[in-house]
Amino acid sequence: MASQNTETKTLALANSRIETSLRGMLSRTQEHSSVTRMLVILLGSFAFFTVLQPAIFLNPVNLQNISIASPEIGVIAIAMMLAMLTGGIDLSLIAIANMSAITITTLYSTLAAEDPQAAAEAMPFIVLLGLVVGGVAGAFNGFLIAKLQIVPILATLGTMQILNGLAIVWTGGSTLYGAPEALTAVGKSGILYVPTLFVLFLLTALGVGVFLNQTSLGKKLQLLGSNPVAAKYSGIDTSRVLMRTYIVTGLLGGFAGILFLVRNPTSSADYGSSYLLLAIVIAVLGGTNPAGGFATVWGVVLATLTLQVVSSGFTAVRLSAYEYAITQGLILIVVMVLDFLSSRRKTRAPKLSRFKLRRKEV
Amino acid sequence: MSNSRMSTVAQFVERFRGANNEGILLLVLAALVLVIGTLNPVFFSVSTLFSILRGVLVPLILALAVLIIMISGGIDVSFVAIAIFAGYTSVVIAQSGGGDPGLIVIILIALFFGLLLGAFNGFVISLFRLPTLIVSLGTQSLFKGILLAYVGSKYIANLPPSMDSVATTNILSIPQDQGVANLHVLVIPVAIILILVAWVLKKTMFGRAVYAIGGDMEAARRAGFPVVRTQFYIYMLAGALAAIGGFLHVTLGRAANPQDLVGNELDVLAAVVLGGASVFGGRGSVFGTVLGVLLIQVINNSLILAGVPTSWQRTAVGVLLLVGVGIQALSARRQSMKSHVTEDTEKE
Repeated sequence: MASQNTETKTLALANSRIETSLRGMLSRTQEHSSVTRMLVILLGSFAFFTVLQPAIFLNPVNLQNISIASPEIGVIAIAMMLAMLTGGIDLSLIAIANMSAITITTLYSTLAAEDPQAAAEAMPFIVLLGLVVGGVAGAFNGFLIAKLQIVPILATLGTMQILNGLAIVWTGGSTLYGAPEALTAVGKSGILYVPTLFVLFLLTALGVGVFLNQTSLGKKLQLLGSNPVAAKYSGIDTSRVLMRTYIVTGLLGGFAGILFLVRNPTSSADYGSSYLLLAIVIAVLGGTNPAGGFATVWGVVLATLTLQVVSSGFTAVRLSAYEYAITQGLILIVVMVLDFLSSRRKTRAPKLSRFKLRRKEV
Repeated sequence: MSNSRMSTVAQFVERFRGANNEGILLLVLAALVLVIGTLNPVFFSVSTLFSILRGVLVPLILALAVLIIMISGGIDVSFVAIAIFAGYTSVVIAQSGGGDPGLIVIILIALFFGLLLGAFNGFVISLFRLPTLIVSLGTQSLFKGILLAYVGSKYIANLPPSMDSVATTNILSIPQDQGVANLHVLVIPVAIILILVAWVLKKTMFGRAVYAIGGDMEAARRAGFPVVRTQFYIYMLAGALAAIGGFLHVTLGRAANPQDLVGNELDVLAAVVLGGASVFGGRGSVFGTVLGVLLIQVINNSLILAGVPTSWQRTAVGVLLLVGVGIQALSARRQSMKSHVTEDTEKE
């Protein structure tokens, strides 16, 4: 009798051990699942369009176009992901990128008109200034959000209006020419058949990945997003973390502006006006939880490529830009509905906690 | 003694401020009008007043749609897409018959599409409880894409005669030194809709449910409000209001352009937020929204009169938005600090 009892006890113990280890494995696969899912979707959509229009779609020019078009929107989507990771959002990213591009173009072309030699020498510093513009704009966002405690969506909405307005005033609404030739040259170059732009994109993603997972700020940022109260009580200076996050986001926006110029030597106040929705679609599709706390860089990279594949696939099968817009909207909603359904099936979260999530995301 | 006098002053200030800082907004608006008027006396004229009134008609109705959703705790950017979808499609359908089906039929067609698209938003948001901003970003792209791909992408310059005749009707024409100041007839239906929505929000069970859901969804459910159904109705109502806004836009512009409106959603959103509505839900009023829309319209209309180039409009609205929200955020923080202090003294 007694031995039987101990036996059941050990059995129960073994059982629970197996269960915990299984749970751990499951949660780990969950973490990778957004990347795996994105990889499947990317390969699936690639195969789909290859079957429909193999001659056009598999053309090297098309593949090159995909890899040249993805970096600028990809970097913006990664920045969007960082803001979403803290439970916020950054609507000002495209305005920041344009501001950075306009600053570089104006400075360089005025300097080049006077003294081409000096302009060529000052070029690296002028390009760096684009990053500085991004950083300053990001710091302004951070000040509004972390110090004044304005809701991120409204703060960045205001910054977006201001920067966009300033860009209109500055350019007079026209397109500026005369970006540094060196940047354009980078845009035309490649490393082993891979466009340099695309390599830059992958390096940025790698950098942000290291930042998120290896640095203390990255870890704090993730904790802050998943549970702001817990983060505060574990001694994290939330206001400082938010401030720095939005500076990083702004820097990435400024970098995206440089990439704009690398791809296309002109800049204007309204370049990339369709990028805002696209960046959010990519971030969410890449597995970013809009309520904060969870995201992967590689999911976002794969999502960027997927949307670019879909976009060029639509062109290949002669669907219009309007139909691409419809698809973007549908993808966003369907992905979120599926995420909702699967999270409900997995956790059966009590309704109350769902509502707490909801309040945070506004 | 001085203490009690101070408290009556404080009471008066508190009452004047209103629940959502409407009083402060009124002062800001008055100050702005005064400044622009002193800079350029042309501003103080009946024709300026009437042209501002005409200019706010569409933003006012659209702002009501945003207001209701914001009070319920959501943020919507798809209302512009619904508005132009309904406005443009109703013109296309009205003209497909060859003749003019009349104003009532055109409005009904617009309302139908507004309710339909609003119901789609409501369905996705209330049933799956998704973040409203991101859903509405998706549906904005979806609705506009469907409009341009399947309904039409052409600019329609010839509206049905019934719409055209409304566009040129004025209820009041006052001769001026230069030209005539006209008060547009559509001011009347817009005023009626404003009063109706204010009444619905303040006096009806549905209106109270909107505030309750925005204040605390779980509490609203426990108090017995049908949360999912109310949310669904909120988005349908917002869709209907957006459709009316789209109809007004097409009528006043005397042309149907499917590329219109989308892109201006942030101006309306900014007006509603300036009007004291909280993005967290549970707060906001029709009066405040009217003031917010007027403020932005006055700025947009009058920068030239004040000697500022129009290209500064966007920046000005952005600064105004940040100042408005910043003040709200700071006062909310001070409020919460205040309540902590009283708690502490009570404990002691």
